[in-house]
Amino acid sequence: MVKDKTKLYDKLLNYALPIILGIMILGVIIIEPSFVSIKNFTNILSQASTRAILAMGVAGLIVLQGTDLSAGRILGLSAIVSASLLQDINYAARMYPNLEQLPLIVPFLIAIGIGVFFTLINGFGVAKLKLHAFIITLGTQLIAYGAALIYIDRPPLGAQPIAGLDERYTNLVKGAFKIGNIEIPYLIIYAAIIAVIMYFVWNKTKLGKNMFAIGGNPEAAAVSGVNLTKNIMYVYLIAGILYGIAGFLEAARIGSATSITGQNYELDAIAACVVGGVSFSGGVGTIPGVLIGSIILQFINYGLNFIQVNPYLQIIVKGLIIIVAVSIDVRKYIEKK
Amino acid sequence: MKKLITVLVVVAMLTTMLGGCSSKPATSSEDLEIGVLIYKYDDTYISTVRQALEAEADGHANATLLMNDSQNDQSKQNDQIDILIEKNVDALIVNIVDIGAAKTVIDKAKAADIPVVFFNREPDAEVIKTYDKARFVGTKPEEAGIIQGEMMAEVWNEGKYDRNNDEVMQYVMLKGDADNPEAIARTEYSVKTLNEKGVKTEELGLQVANWDNDKANQAMEAWMAKDGDKIEFVIANNDGMASGAISALQNAGYNKGDADKYIPVFGVDATDEAKNLIEKGEMTGTVKQDGEGMAKAVFALALNAANKKEFIEGTDYKYDESDIAVRIPYQAYK
Repeated sequence: MVKDKTKLYDKLLNYALPIILGIMILGVIIIEPSFVSIKNFTNILSQASTRAILAMGVAGLIVLQGTDLSAGRILGLSAIVSASLLQDINYAARMYPNLEQLPLIVPFLIAIGIGVFFTLINGFGVAKLKLHAFIITLGTQLIAYGAALIYIDRPPLGAQPIAGLDERYTNLVKGAFKIGNIEIPYLIIYAAIIAVIMYFVWNKTKLGKNMFAIGGNPEAAAVSGVNLTKNIMYVYLIAGILYGIAGFLEAARIGSATSITGQNYELDAIAACVVGGVSFSGGVGTIPGVLIGSIILQFINYGLNFIQVNPYLQIIVKGLIIIVAVSIDVRKYIEKK
Repeated sequence: MKKLITVLVVVAMLTTMLGGCSSKPATSSEDLEIGVLIYKYDDTYISTVRQALEAEADGHANATLLMNDSQNDQSKQNDQIDILIEKNVDALIVNIVDIGAAKTVIDKAKAADIPVVFFNREPDAEVIKTYDKARFVGTKPEEAGIIQGEMMAEVWNEGKYDRNNDEVMQYVMLKGDADNPEAIARTEYSVKTLNEKGVKTEELGLQVANWDNDKANQAMEAWMAKDGDKIEFVIANNDGMASGAISALQNAGYNKGDADKYIPVFGVDATDEAKNLIEKGEMTGTVKQDGEGMAKAVFALALNAANKKEFIEGTDYKYDESDIAVRIPYQAYK
């Protein structure tokens, strides 16, 4: 009997996240039955997409016992640069009035390049200079923000939102497949593809195994022959690619980019990771967990708004959910020890 | 247990999906819902407009406002608009975060055939005109600067404040935001008006202080340390920054009631704090944005639109030369 009880408790712990999400969904439906619609469902998933892509990048760094404060500003800079290279050629206030229409792949690759540039600096700081990730990413956060301001505020137009985006670009990001009456936004597909790739990297590759080994116990990993520097740099490289992609998508999703774009996104991403069971102690975390974490946070935003909870109260609820989810996570971690 | 939970979640998700096929009950005409998106709840001026708007709606039993705080994040605002559209509101009132995203907002509303009233932060008129059910209520951005310039010229001509007697006004400027049209216009037109009134000016410093009291205070401290004996006027894009500057001036021994040690400070908004400072003789002037007037106009236009009438039908409001914008006048306050 006692054994059964502990078993039940273990199960509850292990499936706490889906349970929390399920209870929240039911709660919202009870208060507002009209919440039940396909459109609400796809809205939440597509809104969570860019955030989930960013969070999957940050998650690897948290598994390495690190964190990333620069993710949001890096995303912002890639978004600004992508948008500036993809303004409609007929739009009056273009940043580059003489720029010809570029193939979409060019700004896409530049966005990724920007992401990788900054995360490699972060990786170098952590792996070689032995800085704590908190410090080096705090530095690059400011550098990326300053760079974004310099890029956006210059003649002839001065600082102004980069808008009037090329339709090819907005369609690529905001478009949707239609199956009967159901629209499935491309964004969900992009996030799903990236999630599958990341799942593969984390679980089926040597890099993935090394990442968890380093995150769990760096000394032990080094002793058993894992090359710390190389593996850490690779994890940061992947994060940079994801930030670049997320920035490229985010500018078109919003419809414009400014110096504010990406502000505090890193905190949402970190929250999604910890809510999704990625442990700050390192060495623990899963891609499905990060996805559920991102969806839970987006669901809080969407669902609470839908049932018209006071906006200030929504922020408090978000804070409470993070605390509750992480306390459960810590419990799990203690049991394993 | 595992199965039970999985089943529970799947059921919840399926109900969410399948239920979508059932059509929504149509709202009756007496029961209007208007979605309101505020760029940032805790902005001083906007929160007075918001409260006036809510008071206005309380007077109309048949109209409910669905309030949203976009927390200065356009991506959040877009998400909230998706939710309101999904809730099938009758009209949208949008205080946009990033004016560059107006096209995206309008495209969303247009696709759902929901009328939109933008207010305060002004999108490009050409963008608004792409949708026949979109309007703007706001001030003329340059007007606050012009009124500020006129007040300053008057004070300057009293002749007391030319500290180095070179007949040139040495001033410092506290700008709200790098890329906000109100900030740009206020900064430009306050000085331009002074010059047009025959006052020569020289800028000793300009700082983008994000409309923020504390940032303005830091900038002013630095300026006082560097040019404390040269600064003759302080111009701020809003009262929050003006009050930050005043506390820095007071640290340096100015603006404490002694008429000989006084540097005129001008702001915009006529917040309660600024009115109080002016009364105590520590601040010189501000420009009043009529928040209640703005809220009344916004609500009247949105209510008409929600009732499927022309926006200004049956009201005293008139469009300006753009044919899509209603302007609420500013007033000097000193």
